[in-house]
Amino acid sequence: MKDIISKEKHIETDVLCIGGGIAGLMAAIRAAECGSRVVIAEKSNILYSGSGGLGNDHFRCYIPEVHGNDIEPLIDEFQRGQQGGLRPRSFILAWLERSYEIMKLWDRWGIPMRYQGRYEFAGHALPGHILMSLHYAGAHQKKILTEQAVKRGVEILNRVMCFDLFSNGRAIGGATAINQKDGEILMIESKSVVLGTGGVMRLYPASTPARMFNTRLSPTCVGDGRAMAYRAGAELASMEIPLIRCGPKFFARAGKATWAGVLRDPTGRPVGPFVTKPDNKYGDPVVDIYQDIFVDYKKSGKGPIYMDCDGLSDDELEYMLHWLRNEGNTSFLNYLEEEQIDIRKNPIEFHTYENELFPRGGVYYNEEGKTSLDGLYAAGDEFFGGISGAAVFGWIAGENAAEYSKTHDSMNRASFESQFPETREIMRGLQGRREGPNWEEGNVAIQQIMWDYAGLVRSETLLNAGLQALGRIREKAYHTMVAKNPHELMRALEVLNLIEIGELIFITARERKETRGKHIRVDYPFTNPILEKLLIVKKVEGKPVLEWREMKKMKNK
Amino acid sequence: MPPVIAPDKCLSCGECADVCPSDVFFGSKKGEIPVVAYPNECWHCNACVSACPHEGSIKLRIPLPLMVLYQESS
Repeated sequence: MKDIISKEKHIETDVLCIGGGIAGLMAAIRAAECGSRVVIAEKSNILYSGSGGLGNDHFRCYIPEVHGNDIEPLIDEFQRGQQGGLRPRSFILAWLERSYEIMKLWDRWGIPMRYQGRYEFAGHALPGHILMSLHYAGAHQKKILTEQAVKRGVEILNRVMCFDLFSNGRAIGGATAINQKDGEILMIESKSVVLGTGGVMRLYPASTPARMFNTRLSPTCVGDGRAMAYRAGAELASMEIPLIRCGPKFFARAGKATWAGVLRDPTGRPVGPFVTKPDNKYGDPVVDIYQDIFVDYKKSGKGPIYMDCDGLSDDELEYMLHWLRNEGNTSFLNYLEEEQIDIRKNPIEFHTYENELFPRGGVYYNEEGKTSLDGLYAAGDEFFGGISGAAVFGWIAGENAAEYSKTHDSMNRASFESQFPETREIMRGLQGRREGPNWEEGNVAIQQIMWDYAGLVRSETLLNAGLQALGRIREKAYHTMVAKNPHELMRALEVLNLIEIGELIFITARERKETRGKHIRVDYPFTNPILEKLLIVKKVEGKPVLEWREMKKMKNK
Repeated sequence: MPPVIAPDKCLSCGECADVCPSDVFFGSKKGEIPVVAYPNECWHCNACVSACPHEGSIKLRIPLPLMVLYQESS
């Protein structure tokens, strides 16, 4: 077999952004504005990459002229919601405060943040509660942000996957990467690094087991940033708390909050107490707070549950479709049209993508976008935060990374090069073998273990057994997996990252001896107020070390 | 095979192969009709369709397991 890793290349820069999604692009734009040389390493193509690649339609935002001058009630509401509970108040304050400025920036750059001239808030809220999600037309956001980055001199490397960070134990000095087009290895030396690789898909099975790329968010986001940050010694938090969402059954898509219909049982009865007719402002929030309803209905003989949009006027339907298109659901809507499925006449079955758990937590970055390692910044879904979180903290991380790069020298070259052989050996091993499992076998094997041993039923004995099994997969993956070209090499490296993340979930889930949200410990079936703390994990001398940390809850004025 | 290219309409510009987030067209050559080398990695996101400069040259075929379930109208 031909040696696909034939060449090596050295690149130097001030700020390296790993991942060119919303977070990475915003970081790159800001860092370049602050005078840094910036490189974005993007595993896909930046024009459509990441979970915002085909668009979005909700931007969490505080607008004083809409919400009034008191931001506190919004912070309270935020902390009650799905994204807030794992973050200290000071973090949410920083997020919301800066969201207004970032929103206006996007509007100026040509991402329409107003609807018919006004700020339009809808979705992601209970009736009567504060609306914080601004409807915006994000279908072309990636193209617009890319133009802004290019205008400021940012260098974009498409189809380049970073695998490991260079670290001297305290600070970060760049990353190794592969060029997926030709297998070339890149050594990117950088004074600071911003991680923005998104969430973790493909760790648990999809709702269609035979189609593992059928995920709610982009299936190319597999937690590369979490894995490389952990290997470099950075702190990760809340890896044991899973996130679970719902949408059209079997055709996994985000955007539930844009659907205006009522969730009904097969006889037409609403399953929740909130709405009885379609509502474009709130939708039907029942499943946001009672996600087990789909399974409970099935078990009690009352399922399935349908999203019923009967009753929307033509204008109301067009309004909803407008936002679904901007959310990036065009292929889904095209499919309905081709199959002659009429949204108003044919209630569509919804379900939780319950197999598709992914960790809410991840690389623990603070309100300055800093991680626990010097020179390493992170933003966006490196710790779940949605589009507005990605935009705001990308911007902040880029600014601080640029500042750091001004005052720090590059890492000592010898120290930089000394870490390289290990990564090279892994890459050469993968592409040098002739026989063995490919990445797909590895990925499926991981998914089976994760779902059966760290899924919605967790216990000490299951977690111990699963961790052992995953350890065996790790051995096989590192020593027998085969990649027959640079594309498969990239997928194989993703598998190694998924194993890393899977192990951290087992280790942290075992430590959290309580049930909290969808972290369901059948041997500890209650939520223990004493454990309302962050669980931190980091690598020390080759081993994971756990630490419980109080979450600061004080009010910031 | 999710993206389907109509060979008689395709301009062989390679835009679809260039933008695909999952790189399902890996190995396709510039100036030739792209080849869907990794169909199982398609997210059905529509990037290829929206980047194609010649309407009707490429479309997505949604695989049967992703079939949307719905109630017949009464």
